[in-house]
Amino acid sequence: MKKNRIFIIGFILPCLLALFVMYLYPVVRTVAMSFFGIESVTSDVSNWTFNGIDNYIKIFTSPTFQRAMRNVLIIWIIGGIIILSIALLFAVILTSGIRFKKFFRAAIYMPNIISAVALATMWIQYIYNQDYGLLNQILSTLGLEGKNWLGTDMKFWAMLGAFCFGAVGYYMLIFINGIERIPADLGEAATIDGANKVQQFFQITLPLLRSIFKTNITFWSVNCLTFFLWSKMFSPVSTEASTVVPVVYLYDTVFGTVGNVQRDAGAGAAIGVVLAIIVGVIYFVMNKLLKDDDLEF
Amino acid sequence: MKKKVISVLLAAAMVTGLVAGCGSSSGSGGDSGSSDEGGKQYDGVELTYWSMWTSAEPQGQALQEAADAFEEETGAHITFEWKGRDIKNILSSALESEESFDLFEDDYTRITGNYVDYVADLTEMADAAGYADKSYQVFNDVVNENAGFLACVTEQPSVGGVFYNKDIFDDCGITETPTTWDEFMEACQTMKDNGYQPMALDSTYAPFWFGYHLARTIGEDATADLAVNGGWSQNEGVIQAADDIIEFVNAGYLADGAPDEYPASQNKMGIEQNVAMVVCANYVTSEVNQNSGTELNWGLFAYPTVENGADSTSTFAGANSIAITSYSENQQAAFDFAMYIVTGEQDQNKADLANQIPADPNNTAPASQAGTTEVLEATDAPLTWNMGLNENADLMSVIQETVVKLYEGSYATGADFAAAMDALY
Repeated sequence: MKKNRIFIIGFILPCLLALFVMYLYPVVRTVAMSFFGIESVTSDVSNWTFNGIDNYIKIFTSPTFQRAMRNVLIIWIIGGIIILSIALLFAVILTSGIRFKKFFRAAIYMPNIISAVALATMWIQYIYNQDYGLLNQILSTLGLEGKNWLGTDMKFWAMLGAFCFGAVGYYMLIFINGIERIPADLGEAATIDGANKVQQFFQITLPLLRSIFKTNITFWSVNCLTFFLWSKMFSPVSTEASTVVPVVYLYDTVFGTVGNVQRDAGAGAAIGVVLAIIVGVIYFVMNKLLKDDDLEF
Repeated sequence: MKKKVISVLLAAAMVTGLVAGCGSSSGSGGDSGSSDEGGKQYDGVELTYWSMWTSAEPQGQALQEAADAFEEETGAHITFEWKGRDIKNILSSALESEESFDLFEDDYTRITGNYVDYVADLTEMADAAGYADKSYQVFNDVVNENAGFLACVTEQPSVGGVFYNKDIFDDCGITETPTTWDEFMEACQTMKDNGYQPMALDSTYAPFWFGYHLARTIGEDATADLAVNGGWSQNEGVIQAADDIIEFVNAGYLADGAPDEYPASQNKMGIEQNVAMVVCANYVTSEVNQNSGTELNWGLFAYPTVENGADSTSTFAGANSIAITSYSENQQAAFDFAMYIVTGEQDQNKADLANQIPADPNNTAPASQAGTTEVLEATDAPLTWNMGLNENADLMSVIQETVVKLYEGSYATGADFAAAMDALY
C-alpha cells in the first residue's frame, strides 16, 4: 500500500507541478500585475510600480473598453439567442428521425473544422463584398440597391452574422447529445396520452435539457469573452471601434498597435482579471439559476 | 514486478520528454572574427536571425539568398527563425530573457521605443563602414533622436503620399501633378469628366489620408495634441480640413463604394483600371499589382498643400529595420551581415524581388516604386503614421471610426465632424 502511494505521488507530482507552474503562477502573477504600472508583460518585478486600483479606473473609464464591453454584451445576448435557438431547432429536427441525419449533422458542424481565418475571408470577400458579393448580387437580382455591408454602421452586424454561421454546429451537437439522452419511452408515453410534438418539446424535452442549456450558456459565455479572431479579421490592419472586443483591447493595450508603441501590461492584466471575474460570475449565476440535480430520468 | 518495471520505464520516458522539451537550442557560438582553417573572416561563427517575414515571402527569399552569399564570402552561418509580423508580440519577452539570437527585424519606432535597452549601439561600427553614405539620413536622424544612439539599420523604407496611375493622368491630359489642394480638386474634376474615378479609399487608411490633410492644415503636433486632449471644435483648422474632405466626397471624387473594406477599393486601381489615385504608403503599389495581376504605371506626388496651412512639405516616412541584440557575442559579424543585406547588391536584389524601396540610396527603385526615392531624399522631418491621430492609444479606434464616417458622408459640415470628435472625450 505504501509503495502504491509512492507510485501514485510519483505520477501525480509532474502534473501537479505543471499545473502550478503553467496555470496557478500565471494567474497569481496576472492578478498582482493588475495593481502595478508595468510596460512590458515580462518586465522584472523590480521595474513594477504600485498603481493601486488605477489600472482598473483607467480601463473602466476608457471609451474603447466601454465600447468593447458593449459589443461583447450584444454578441452574448443577441448572438446567443440566435445561435442557441437555431442550434436547438436543428438538434430537435435531426433527432426527430429525419433521413440523411448524419449528412446534415456533418454539414452543419463543418464550419467548426474550417479555419476561422478562411471562414472570415470567405464572408468578407465573397459574401459582403459590395461589387461581387453574394448578398448584393441577390439584392441586385431582386432589383434592389446594394449596401456597404462593411461600412461603420453595418460592420458589427456583418461580423456577428458570419460568426453565428460558424458557431451553430458546435452547440447543436451538444443539444443533440442531450436530447438523445432522454429516454424514448417518455415521448412514447406522452404520444399515447395524446400530446403532440410541440407539447412534447415544451413539456418534456426542454425541461430535461436544463443541464445542457447550462453547459451551452457557460461555453457560449466563455467563447464570447474570448472573442478575438473574428474581430481581428474584420479589422485587419488596425482595430476599429465597430468590431472591438475586450480581448482585442487587451491585446492592443499589452502589445501596442499600428502607429503607436505605447504599452501597458498592468492595464492589460486588469482587463484579464475583469474578464475572468465575469466568467466566474456567469458560471455562479448559471449554477444558481439552472439546477440540474432535481430531475432524474 | 513487471508492472513496476513498466511504470518506472514510463516515468523515465515522461521525465526525459519533459527535459528534452524544456531544453533550449544551442546559442550562437564561436568567436567574433576568428579564422582558423578556412581562412575566411567569420569561419565558425553562427548567427541567429529573427525575421519579421516568412520564408515564402519575397523578402524572406531575398534574406536567405543574402545569407547564403554571406556564408560563401565570410564563412558565417546564419540561421533564420521566421517569426512573421507577430514578432512584435514576442520580442520584448525574448530580449528581456536574453534569448539566444543576434539580429532581429521590426518597425524602427518599436526598436527605438520598446526594445532600446536591449539593442547594441551600432554607431562606431556604422561610422567605420561608411553607413551614412549608404542610407537615408532621415531614418538615422529619427533613430538617433529617439534612442540616443544608432540602434538599428534601415532595411525597408516606406514613404507616403498620393500614388497614382500615370496612364490615367496622361489620358486626361494632366501633365503636372497637383501641388495645392485647389489644383488637386481641379485634377479630380478633370478625371471625373473623362470617365475616371479619382480616388480609391479603404476605410483602414481613412485616418492616414485625413491625418495628412490635418497635418498640412494645422501641423502634426497640433493634431497629436487634439487627439490627446480634445478641443477639436475650437480649432478652425480642423473644421476647414473636414469641410475640404466633405466637399471632396460630395463632389463624387471617391471611387464607387469607397470607403470600402481593405483592400477592395485599392484593388480597383488594378482590376478595373479606372480608379486613378490612392493616399497611402508605398507598399500599396506592390499590393495592388500583386492582387490584381497587373503592372500599373505608378507615380507618386507629395500630398497637396492647403492654403495658409501650417506644414506644406513634410511627408510620412517609416521603416522596418534590423537591430542587433546587446548581448550578442558576435556583434561585428551580425552588423556586417546587416550591412550586407541593406546595402549594395543584396539590397538591390531584395528591392527587386519584393518590389520595395531599396534601403541604399545608391540603388535603383523598381518601377512600382517610381518617385519614392526622390521624395525620401527630400524628407528631413518625417510625419508619423496617421500624423498624430494615433497619439491617443486609448481613443485610436473610435477616432478612426469617426474619420471613416466623415468619408461615408455622415457629417453635413466640418463643425459637425469636430463636434463628433469632441464627443469622444
